[in-house]
Amino acid sequence: MIPERLLIFSAAGEEFALNLQEVCEVMEPQPSYPFAGAPPHYLGLINFHGNLTALVDLGMYLGKGGRGAPGKLLVLDTKLAHLALGVDGVSSIVSGETVTGEAPGEEPLIEARLETAAGTVRLLEVEALLRGLEEGLREAPPRPQP
Amino acid sequence: MDMTQYKALFLSESREYLRAISEQVVALEQSPSEPGAVDTLFRGAHSLKGMAASMEYGEVVVVAHSMEDLMARVRDGGLKFEAGVADLLLEGVDLIDAMLNDVEADRPVTPPPGDYAQRLAGYTPPPPRKKAEKAPPPPAAPASPEAEKAKEAPALDAGTVRVKTELLDHLINLTGELVTNKNRLLNVAREAGSQPLNDAVSETGKLLRALHDEVMKVRLMPFEAICDRFQRSVRSLAKKSGKEIQFEITGRDIGLDRGTLEQLVDPLNHILRNAVDHGMEESAERAAAGKPEKGVVRLCVSRDRDRIVISVSDDGRGMEPQRMIDAAIRKGVLTPEEGEFLSPRQALMLSCIPGFSTAREVTDVSGRGVGMDAVNAAIQKLGGTLEIESEPGVGSTFTLKLPMTIAIIHALVVQCGAVKGAVPVTAVLRTVELSRRQIETVGKRQMFQLDGETVPLLSLNRVLGLPLGRFPNGILPLFVTEAKGRRVGIVVDRLLGQHELFVKPFGRPLSRMAGLAGGATLGDGEIVTILDLADLL
Repeated sequence: MIPERLLIFSAAGEEFALNLQEVCEVMEPQPSYPFAGAPPHYLGLINFHGNLTALVDLGMYLGKGGRGAPGKLLVLDTKLAHLALGVDGVSSIVSGETVTGEAPGEEPLIEARLETAAGTVRLLEVEALLRGLEEGLREAPPRPQP
Repeated sequence: MDMTQYKALFLSESREYLRAISEQVVALEQSPSEPGAVDTLFRGAHSLKGMAASMEYGEVVVVAHSMEDLMARVRDGGLKFEAGVADLLLEGVDLIDAMLNDVEADRPVTPPPGDYAQRLAGYTPPPPRKKAEKAPPPPAAPASPEAEKAKEAPALDAGTVRVKTELLDHLINLTGELVTNKNRLLNVAREAGSQPLNDAVSETGKLLRALHDEVMKVRLMPFEAICDRFQRSVRSLAKKSGKEIQFEITGRDIGLDRGTLEQLVDPLNHILRNAVDHGMEESAERAAAGKPEKGVVRLCVSRDRDRIVISVSDDGRGMEPQRMIDAAIRKGVLTPEEGEFLSPRQALMLSCIPGFSTAREVTDVSGRGVGMDAVNAAIQKLGGTLEIESEPGVGSTFTLKLPMTIAIIHALVVQCGAVKGAVPVTAVLRTVELSRRQIETVGKRQMFQLDGETVPLLSLNRVLGLPLGRFPNGILPLFVTEAKGRRVGIVVDRLLGQHELFVKPFGRPLSRMAGLAGGATLGDGEIVTILDLADLL
């Protein structure tokens, strides 16, 4: 099902979309503080209105790009998670009604490929993204090295 | 009429009545000569029935009604209160509790077993034993504290109000944010070099501490709120193992943070079950050792300044430190050389190592070696410590020391590489600046001497997967903590001092990450993670 409104953004040079309802705020980059034991796509922690929020480089997590300074931070709805995604930039917000075509997403975390006036975008499935990130943390907990 | 808006209130009040009934049943079993207590019990079931009827939960009404009838027979003298009656009433408590869980989850209520009401209605006590017939009637025992307690009805106090726990959590959050901002202001005052500003912020800090203490008091719940579960657990296990146990609880009115209280149930239950199952001897064995046939298990709660002290003691067979060491060597947990270094206290703490158990028999309640390590980890997660004392033939005492609050803590902030982390001061035994000359190598491990004890060293950088620190001046900063029952020196790059921190839990996805107990913001806005040493080490 196509969301009512979509936030179109780019990460590692590719176009993605999120259901606008799942995004709480688009922020300028801000200082983040490193923490130990997490995989490298975790850039650190930021303070989002008092919530300690993990900052993840989305392009890097998707295996599409190196660790670079993000252009924008997409903070997910705090009811869903305490997570901000570092992306290259945000291009627009479009109505779901303007989507002219829909095909199933053939990659993990991608719910669908959508044809919009801005071109083809891949709709991210937030729950799958969160589950994947959690799985990654469980696989690489900080443990004493031999 | 739409009754759903009253559901939360119904559940909360019903559970209070169930808890009171459960406690009073156990108390009455110990002191059956308390007619006032039976009246209270009767009223509890009656009130529960009335509330369930008004909410139209028919299944709850049926069970409560049957319990009420049984209690009426006791109250009217037609039936003596004895173990059979207690069993039936406690079964009813469990049935209603399960039904309340269904109501809370909006599931259809599970009907009670068809014969429950009949069993209660047709209950007749078993014939007394011949030996008992010969014995003179026992003198009326003085009312035990349990029975005294049972006289008190769970009444609503007109001077109290019910407040949603979410509101209390929100108040704590706001207070915590204020503490964080006060630290920020202190930094600003220091940088500005303004004494009046510094004084004003310090004064604000004192007021905030008072506010925090008051808000925390509101969140406190008496230890009594979880007592019934322990009474039930000890009673049932004593019955099952055929041991005679007198179980005493003191300090029921001591308040603990709601969050802490909930997380104490399993660890305390485990220690109590161990005490009954393994600590306590059979009556014959006790008699042969010149002890009273009835063993005593005590659960004592007290307050020591800003800490809560909970001890579980028994007058059972106790533990032998050397036997613990031998078992650890046999299981490969220790080398014989390491075993020689252990003090008796350290040897007893070996029981907290995962997989370690000296129980001769595995029973369905303990002896599987999966218990005490989980207990110790749970206590450390709450920022507390566990100590074990024992004397062979005399008994054992397990002492838990817990902070009053887990929301605002004092923590030692340390630096490892580019990362700052915080360790609750309750987990820090002391800090040390160690010269390289003081380090000894035993096998592959680096150790140092502390108060006549050989203490192993561990690098926190290594534990966290960070590059190892260099110490060009030959001085290694470290803090000493206790892990798996042994003192360990944790080497860090720098000790950054003690801070008052408002601990915030992480949301998804970090909430699933091992080794982190939350995060906090320092006065300069920097975020540090609270390290969960129990998990990391």
